[in-house]
Amino acid sequence: MRRQLRSRRAPAFPYGYRYRLDDQDEVNQNYLADEEEEAEEEARVMVVHDLEEEEEEEEKEEEEEEEEEGQGQPTSNALWQKLQIVNEHLWDPEKRMSLARTGQSWRVMIRPFAHSLNFNFNVSEPDTWQHYVISLNGFLQGYNDSLQEEMNVDCPPGQYFIQDGNEDEDKKACQFKRSFLKNCSGLEDPTFGYSTGQPCILLKMNRIVGFRPELGDPVKVSCKVQRGDENDIRSINYYPESASFDLRYYPYYGKLTHVNYTSPLVAMHFTDVVKNQAVPVQCQLKGKGIINDVINDRFVGRVIFTLNIET
Amino acid sequence: GRPGSGWAAREARRDRSAGGGAPPDPPGDMLCTASENLPWANIARLLLFQKTPEIYSVELSGTEDVGKTDTGDGKEKYRGLKDKRLELKKNHQKEELKKEVDLEDHKLSIKELERKYGTNIVTGLSSTQAAELLARNGPNALTPPKETPEIVKFPQADGAILCWIAYGIQYFNDKSSSLDSVYLGCVLALVVILTGIFAYYQEAKSTNIMASFSKMIPQQALVIRDSEKKTVPAEQLVVGDIVEIKGGDKIPADIRLLSTQGCKVDNSSLTGNLTPSLRTHDNPLEAENPWNKMSTSPVGTATGMVINTGDRTIIGQIASLASGVGHEKTPIAIEIEHFVHIVAGVAVSIGILFFIIAVSMKYYVLDSIIFLIGIIVANVPEGLLATVTVTLSLTAKRMAKKNCLVKNLEAVETLGSTSIICSDKTGTLTQNRMTVAHLWFDNQIFVADTSEDHSNQVFDQSSGTWASLSKIITLCNRAEFRPGQESVPIMKKVVVGDASETALLKFSEVILGDVMEIRKRNRKVAEIPFNSTNKFQLSIHETDDPSDKRFLMVMKGAPERVLEKCSTIMVNGQEQPLDDSTAEAFHTAYMELGGLGERVLGFCHLYLPADKFPETYSFDVDTVNFPTSNLCFVGLLSMIDPPRSTVPDAVTKCRSAGIKVIMVTGDHPITAKAIAKSVGIISANSETVEDIAKRLNIPVEQVSKRDAKAAVVTGMELKDMSPEQLDELLTDYSEIVFARTSPQQKLIIVEGCQRQDAVVAVTGDGVNDSPALKKADIGIAMGIAGSDAAKNAADMVLLDDNFASIVTGVEEGRLIFDNLKKTIAYTLTKNIAELCPFLIYIIAGLPLPIGTITILFIDLGTDIIPSIALAYEKAESDIMNRKPRHKKKDRLVNAPLAIYSYLHIGLMQALGAFVVYFTVYAQEGFRPSALINLRVEWEKDSVNDLEDSYGQEWTQYQRKYLEWTGYTAFFVGIMIQQIADLIIRKTRRNSIFQQGLFRNKVIWVGIASQIIIALILSYGLGSVSALNFTMLRPQYWFVAVPHAILIWVYDEVRKLFIRLYPGSWWDKNMYY
Repeated sequence: MRRQLRSRRAPAFPYGYRYRLDDQDEVNQNYLADEEEEAEEEARVMVVHDLEEEEEEEEKEEEEEEEEEGQGQPTSNALWQKLQIVNEHLWDPEKRMSLARTGQSWRVMIRPFAHSLNFNFNVSEPDTWQHYVISLNGFLQGYNDSLQEEMNVDCPPGQYFIQDGNEDEDKKACQFKRSFLKNCSGLEDPTFGYSTGQPCILLKMNRIVGFRPELGDPVKVSCKVQRGDENDIRSINYYPESASFDLRYYPYYGKLTHVNYTSPLVAMHFTDVVKNQAVPVQCQLKGKGIINDVINDRFVGRVIFTLNIET
Repeated sequence: GRPGSGWAAREARRDRSAGGGAPPDPPGDMLCTASENLPWANIARLLLFQKTPEIYSVELSGTEDVGKTDTGDGKEKYRGLKDKRLELKKNHQKEELKKEVDLEDHKLSIKELERKYGTNIVTGLSSTQAAELLARNGPNALTPPKETPEIVKFPQADGAILCWIAYGIQYFNDKSSSLDSVYLGCVLALVVILTGIFAYYQEAKSTNIMASFSKMIPQQALVIRDSEKKTVPAEQLVVGDIVEIKGGDKIPADIRLLSTQGCKVDNSSLTGNLTPSLRTHDNPLEAENPWNKMSTSPVGTATGMVINTGDRTIIGQIASLASGVGHEKTPIAIEIEHFVHIVAGVAVSIGILFFIIAVSMKYYVLDSIIFLIGIIVANVPEGLLATVTVTLSLTAKRMAKKNCLVKNLEAVETLGSTSIICSDKTGTLTQNRMTVAHLWFDNQIFVADTSEDHSNQVFDQSSGTWASLSKIITLCNRAEFRPGQESVPIMKKVVVGDASETALLKFSEVILGDVMEIRKRNRKVAEIPFNSTNKFQLSIHETDDPSDKRFLMVMKGAPERVLEKCSTIMVNGQEQPLDDSTAEAFHTAYMELGGLGERVLGFCHLYLPADKFPETYSFDVDTVNFPTSNLCFVGLLSMIDPPRSTVPDAVTKCRSAGIKVIMVTGDHPITAKAIAKSVGIISANSETVEDIAKRLNIPVEQVSKRDAKAAVVTGMELKDMSPEQLDELLTDYSEIVFARTSPQQKLIIVEGCQRQDAVVAVTGDGVNDSPALKKADIGIAMGIAGSDAAKNAADMVLLDDNFASIVTGVEEGRLIFDNLKKTIAYTLTKNIAELCPFLIYIIAGLPLPIGTITILFIDLGTDIIPSIALAYEKAESDIMNRKPRHKKKDRLVNAPLAIYSYLHIGLMQALGAFVVYFTVYAQEGFRPSALINLRVEWEKDSVNDLEDSYGQEWTQYQRKYLEWTGYTAFFVGIMIQQIADLIIRKTRRNSIFQQGLFRNKVIWVGIASQIIIALILSYGLGSVSALNFTMLRPQYWFVAVPHAILIWVYDEVRKLFIRLYPGSWWDKNMYY
């Protein structure tokens, strides 16, 4: 279903590409899964689609009266309009609220993806860090310069990339090229610095439909030692150098229309971390009205991870 | 039956209330559960007893042999009891009984007695001896029956333990595991504990009150010890004590009489006979059987030696026999057990099925165990036990207002399923007092009004014979009203005198006016009181006519004795010689009245000639210096303990309700049959075998048993019957009267009825009834006349001793059964809606739609008051016009109920709740399709950028919060649909509009409570993370409304088809 929908709504993209993106996602998220599990994953995906269709059939039959948006049945204009109504629910411009979350509550997440937020590896043993490199590489496939140039537009920096028009109109996405990440792009150093004990960690903000960072101020990233000696990190290089998420990548219109949207990233290059000890690092978003000290959810406006690099 | 004591107490009670003193608690004001109220009635009775010591009630004439047979029979009976016990109980107990029933003491001489008990009748025991004996034999008190509360246990305890085990494993695996299962375990444990405490509290409260009150008013006994008269608590009496009894006392123990002065005892509480036995003997050495503890006593005084105390008394033995009779499980307990089996069966089988599925789907075993717990919790209606208890106690309270005091809550329903009532006669069916029923004079039988107030005496009072008769009735009577009752209606006045004389006194007072004044005008100059050898009573009076200087001698007594002494008879005021034809007329009338089961007295008089008996003549009753023959016979008068005016109607109602009413009495068969006929237990057009034989003039053996509908069976006949014959008797005849029955036989009758799969109610008041009361499915004791032993053994107490109260009890019982069905159907429905989430969670891998704690908030929160509210629902049709339910066929929870609740409404509800759930998730960004198989990713703590259908990314905490919002939404969905469920459950057959949507206001209280509790949970406690509730957006509250309406329409259609096509497939499968 989803595929049909997409192909209708995004005819400009070659089928193969999109498929690859999808798969890429899977790979990214389950990077650590061994091959066997991956195979299972594939199988599961197939099952999902089958079930999905059944589910939709049921929904169609049984829940006509319910004002839920359903599945956006492509065949039914009425339902489609309902979807639009619901979309309005998703974003309330007056309250600047979407999905009951306020604009200040940005969640952040880092890459490489691991099951825990402890980065333990031994520089001299590639086995201990190889999976980080694979994860990052996989993740950055979608940011390849060629792909970005082909798919996305180069929009002016420093301002929101607002695309008015119908809700269901396809939106263009701004380019975020892999090369923006410089030393952490994996282009020059395919090991993202892990082989030299200078690991790159990518930070991204969780996508929220319709959100704009407050008042046209780009959100900055700043990392420091969470507990312990301030000097354990010594120096961090941020890429892009502004250490911020440019405004042009916002707002996000949702993946139904904003198909090729690529989340902006900030790479943190820990060039001189103290070795052979665990260094707790807290990276926070800084900006007007940004909340970064919620206790319940440890990912609101900040992320805490530890680096333990052995030599 | 015990006519004397109960009557006296009742009179006293009325007297007291009318006198402005603190009235005994009216039943309506009584609190909460019925059982705790019992002691009040009890104590009130005891208390009043002590204040009205001079009331007694003794048979005056006729049926003289009853007392004697009682002596011999008594032992026979108890031996019978004992034999029964042989079968029933363990060896050592029966041995004990056998040994102690042999009461030979009355045959011993005083010397032998003194030797046997090491006492002295003059000096009594020494204090040290007494103390020793007391220590050895224990106090002279009955061991109170032990009652263990039966708590229906749901498998919650297991759930709690499972939860903790699960947490233990979880903790072992991962130290930071969530505390959810611990919370859940705690909540489940708490539910179990609270339910237990609740039941225990109920039980303890009633026991405590009982205990505290019996201590407050200790019975005292006057005992000779150390050559001194001492008053000691009756509890401290020991064997060998010499006690003095005075009029009005309760006999404190089994005693052997040593000397009496005009002493009589009413032993009826023990024997169950209507006519109390006369136990007066001038010669103390001739004293009959020892007097028994609890017998109400005598007029006059007596001295006796204690020969048995406490549980070893006859009464104690009966009481322990009663407690030895295993109490049958009440029908409702059986039904609830059946229901629990169904629920547990469903829960465990689904649980295990999905455990296997989960394991084979490669879930971790630990996860699978948690699923198992979830499924069980979802399936077990945690709140139902409390609901049932509250529902039953509400009904009990309602019944208490109608004079049915329920001791055992479960008995509330039992009465409703009763199919046979074995009713005692005296006091239950009858008014428990002798009343003049017929008069015979001038060769004619006149009918007197026997209604409760005597107001309507219509017989011809113009005849001269009546004038003479009324004078005899008035004058030849020793009974008197207690002074100080001027304002009390005549029928309610307390009388000092025995039952027959009381009846005559009241009768004459009603007709003639102030009897005392008449007696004053006709001064009594001499009197021979009644005794069992003479069988007559005689007194000589001055006349109230100043010109007439003659004395008037009046006599009453057993008719044949009285007639012997007469030579003339008065007809229309004229004396005529007594010839054969008049004698014949007399006999006809005597037989006719006797045939009505009435006690007949003859009356005659003689004016003593003034010349032989001048005014100064001194009459000597010892030498009898006056004539006692050649009197003038005036008339006959018959008395009966008349049926209560409400009883015939009540019996008819029982009949139409399909309940068989059997009379079981210790009374004479003729009396029993007469009363049975007059109350409709034997209906007007049905005949016994004997009746048919008499009508057709053929021997009884030739009558076809099929022709007779009714049967009167005596204890003697019953004794020779095999159980099969009894079964046959019980099935063949629809109208049965058992007369002259012993306690053991009552037990046999009850067992016979129970063999027919009948639910048997037994009413009774005497100690002798207590085994049968206990054996019965529901024992009903009389509140006023009932002995404590009977009340202890009974499940229910009729405060007004009125059979008609049983009918209201039946009605309430049936209603509660119907309403419990509704309650259970209501409660079961949502279990599916609670269960489906787990199944779908396991199979389709959705994020968990509802948590176990949330489920508990439905079961123990929003659903409690509504399910109780259903208990207030009125009956849909005339429940008194249908047959009692069949114990084994008409189950509380039957297949249609389970299927309709689980698979029809339950599934619809689950669907509706899922719609709310999907709506919430979809609006937050996860469309249903995206949710499928999302579970693993969703629950992974490390995934903090899970993408939804719109490409947004969610951290673990956000997802958790959304999950809780989902719980809340699902909860609200179920709650909204439960409102519809509640409304549809108001009726099972009728349309809601026929029943009236607003007639039961409590339903609306229930609905309001549901909504309010849900609002509080969502908006008030939404921030408490342990409860897993969140503040739900207002629009989500309305998503399930269309589903609720759909449920209601669906059920209306179901009911419509049931009404349209009775007996069809639909009716059979959709009517629960």
